[in-house]
Amino acid sequence: MNRPLVQNVRLFIDGALLSYIALFRWLRPAAYLASKVIMPLNQILFFTLLGMYATGRDNASFYVIGNALQLTAVSGIYGVTMSVGGDRWDGTLPYLFGTPANRAALFLGRAFFHILDGMLGVVLGFFWGVVLLGLDLSHTSLPTLGLIVLVTTLSSSGLGLLMGCLSLITRNIMFINNTVYFLLLIFSGANIPLDSLPLWMQSFAQGLPLTRGIAAARAVIAGQTVHDVVPLLGGELLIAVVYTSLGYALFRWFEHQAKMRGTLEAI
Amino acid sequence: MNLDRLRANIRVVGYAFVMTLKQNVIDGFIIFTILIQPLIIALLALWMMDDQAASHAIFIVVGSGLTGLWSSLLFISGNSINVERWIGTLEFMVAMPTSITTIIFGKNLAHVSQSLISMLLSYFLASIIFDLPLTIARPGLFLLSLLLTIVAFVSFGLIIAPIFVMNPGVQGWQNAMEFPVYILSGFLFPIALLPGWTTPVSYVLAPYWAAKALHGASSGESSPDSILIDLGILIMFSTVYILISRRLFKAMLHKTRVDATLGLQ
Amino acid sequence: MTGYAIEVEHLKRTYKTTVGVLRRKVKNVEAVRDVSFAIQTGELFGLVGPNGAGKTTTVKMLTTLLIPTAGTARVLGYDVVQEASSIQARIGFIFGGDRGLYWRLSGIDNLRYFASLYHVDPDVSRKRIDYLLELVGLTGRGEERVEGYSRGMRQRLHIARSLLHNPEVLFLDEPTIGLDPVGARELRLVIRNLQAEEKTILLTTHYMFEADELCQRVGVINHGEITALDTPQGLKKTVRDLSVIEINVFGIDNEHLDALRDRADVDTVSLREHGQKQTLLIHSPHGSEALPGVMETLSGLHLGGVTVREPTLEDAYVRLVGGEA
Repeated sequence: MNRPLVQNVRLFIDGALLSYIALFRWLRPAAYLASKVIMPLNQILFFTLLGMYATGRDNASFYVIGNALQLTAVSGIYGVTMSVGGDRWDGTLPYLFGTPANRAALFLGRAFFHILDGMLGVVLGFFWGVVLLGLDLSHTSLPTLGLIVLVTTLSSSGLGLLMGCLSLITRNIMFINNTVYFLLLIFSGANIPLDSLPLWMQSFAQGLPLTRGIAAARAVIAGQTVHDVVPLLGGELLIAVVYTSLGYALFRWFEHQAKMRGTLEAI
Repeated sequence: MNLDRLRANIRVVGYAFVMTLKQNVIDGFIIFTILIQPLIIALLALWMMDDQAASHAIFIVVGSGLTGLWSSLLFISGNSINVERWIGTLEFMVAMPTSITTIIFGKNLAHVSQSLISMLLSYFLASIIFDLPLTIARPGLFLLSLLLTIVAFVSFGLIIAPIFVMNPGVQGWQNAMEFPVYILSGFLFPIALLPGWTTPVSYVLAPYWAAKALHGASSGESSPDSILIDLGILIMFSTVYILISRRLFKAMLHKTRVDATLGLQ
Repeated sequence: MTGYAIEVEHLKRTYKTTVGVLRRKVKNVEAVRDVSFAIQTGELFGLVGPNGAGKTTTVKMLTTLLIPTAGTARVLGYDVVQEASSIQARIGFIFGGDRGLYWRLSGIDNLRYFASLYHVDPDVSRKRIDYLLELVGLTGRGEERVEGYSRGMRQRLHIARSLLHNPEVLFLDEPTIGLDPVGARELRLVIRNLQAEEKTILLTTHYMFEADELCQRVGVINHGEITALDTPQGLKKTVRDLSVIEINVFGIDNEHLDALRDRADVDTVSLREHGQKQTLLIHSPHGSEALPGVMETLSGLHLGGVTVREPTLEDAYVRLVGGEA
């Protein structure tokens, strides 16, 4: 049964690459540079400085790590969500859903290159942190940090896939994207220590991506080993799986609904 | 300009103002930029401040309001001419007896006015939900600062709008220009936190002087004299912006007619 | 001032486009190569041509939206480049299509806004808006948001908008494009009524029957140049040879055929046969005027149906633009 597998892999890669290119086709190299290099810098600078003003200069690292990791949400939410929803705006949904293509490969492929993109963003974030804000990585096991970044990117992309399905239903997706992105800044622990938040918000935060990843990153940079953060990583990975599966289920349900109700072309 | 023309132009500004507001009320992106984002920033700042929040409440309210003003200026006012192009009405705007500058002025006035809501909302958030003290130390000077801030932002809008039309590549940098101004203008933390070499850059930014005046008047930490100096500098910036804008609009009108970019291709 | 509302002399417009993403090559596209014509005051002039011929580009230059690369144009005596603002106050224009209106505002709000931009006095504009809505058949629908309008309604609102300041000259660029037949017919009625108000109208279209129906003179533009300019009748005359007289006969003999062929006003005669019925196809440079004579030649024969197919403006156009659509 090799051919279906090969076909699916090809579909995965082609769809992934094309949807990535399609989304960024309007960006010139300079603008891509601005979004990949400068935007992360801006965000980290702003919130770290704000944090330093609020709680003192010594706490800079707390904010740098939190905001660097939070950058996965950029490609996770904006990139992946728009990838999934992009077909709706281009009017290609009917064509997509009329094919016998493997839906899982199709769906997951949308996230693939954005995951790579997202990790790159975080790495750049850490770079700026070290160069400009005195982030000290000397006690860090870099492979472990890399693993944390990967897992966190996966879970943000999972959220993105889920939100992407929302974008198939509602017109106000940019509004939702922006709001969720900013809310993550509050609830993920990136800028506010979780124990300062009210209890019900802490529980809410535990159900979100990024929360455990950021905690794990802070721990590892402080010198802890991979063994110490396995529970956190496991939790983050679980969130990735849950959100992705939910997203996929919604994706299939949407296709079914749209075909039943005849709303495939409706925008 | 005779009286009739003046009256006609004032009417245009009025119509542009009202029609812009009517259209914006239903726009998700605009609602996010002027309401949600500044509110979340205010929330974030208030929580980060924790026990210091009480003494810094008004600072955060004013500061987050300013972030709303700037983002609105950058993304919404900046696009005010381009939006007409996308809708398909720019060609009509340009072929009117009314100068397009007047039209854009009216639009910008609407954008800036509606973005003041962000300050208002942060105010309510801080006072009602967080129950923090929010007295404005020098209300008269604060109001004056607010008025002059509006003037400065509207006139700055008259500069970036034509630039964004003539040079669409610049728009890609919009995102990159949002946070740096928050940082360099000292909206939510003093620029003393920044390395010394950035200070000249801050001095060149009109929003810096607006923030300085507004923060100084609301917190009472600046003397009336220094606030007036800040306002004087702000007025100077506004004047320069208005003068430059006339040339920019002329250049834009010529360029779009030569390049045939008035409509979409 | 001459009696010409619009004068165009050797107008030219070249575009630069770039090809490719990383290594951009510059290409020069001549949208309008060399266009000259003049339109009388009060005339309804048609500019027809295939897509990409240069119609819209020409109109945009005349409405001061584009600066010509070479040549001159005057509208109501004012130069389109140097005296643009004098022209702008006196002309109205529409470009066919869905765009160009504020969808979130109502029809009336759109008109009110544009009226203020045209510096129309508020008292005047109120009455005029009511009048215009009635003129274009939108009475009662003015309070609805434009996003709910049908395409035809939007097109009609466009026309209302172009008349707010009572312009002397109107430019209608493909006004009926994309409209259903009924909507298009209603719009053409509006246009005809406008001409009755002694406005000068320049209409572009690629529907020949529309130009034939509405225009007093028609200019055919192709590849950026005017290839013909005449009244619709004049243009049709150039393809006179295309008129065909078809007569069904039942058994025609050679004597009659020869007599027909010998006629001076007959070019060619051919015979189509299907079973018992024969159809005579007679080509004559005089078109339908040759019919009485032909009938006389064929008198005594048992004849079936007689059809005279006149050349249409479309036939003339197709020949002029070489069969391009």
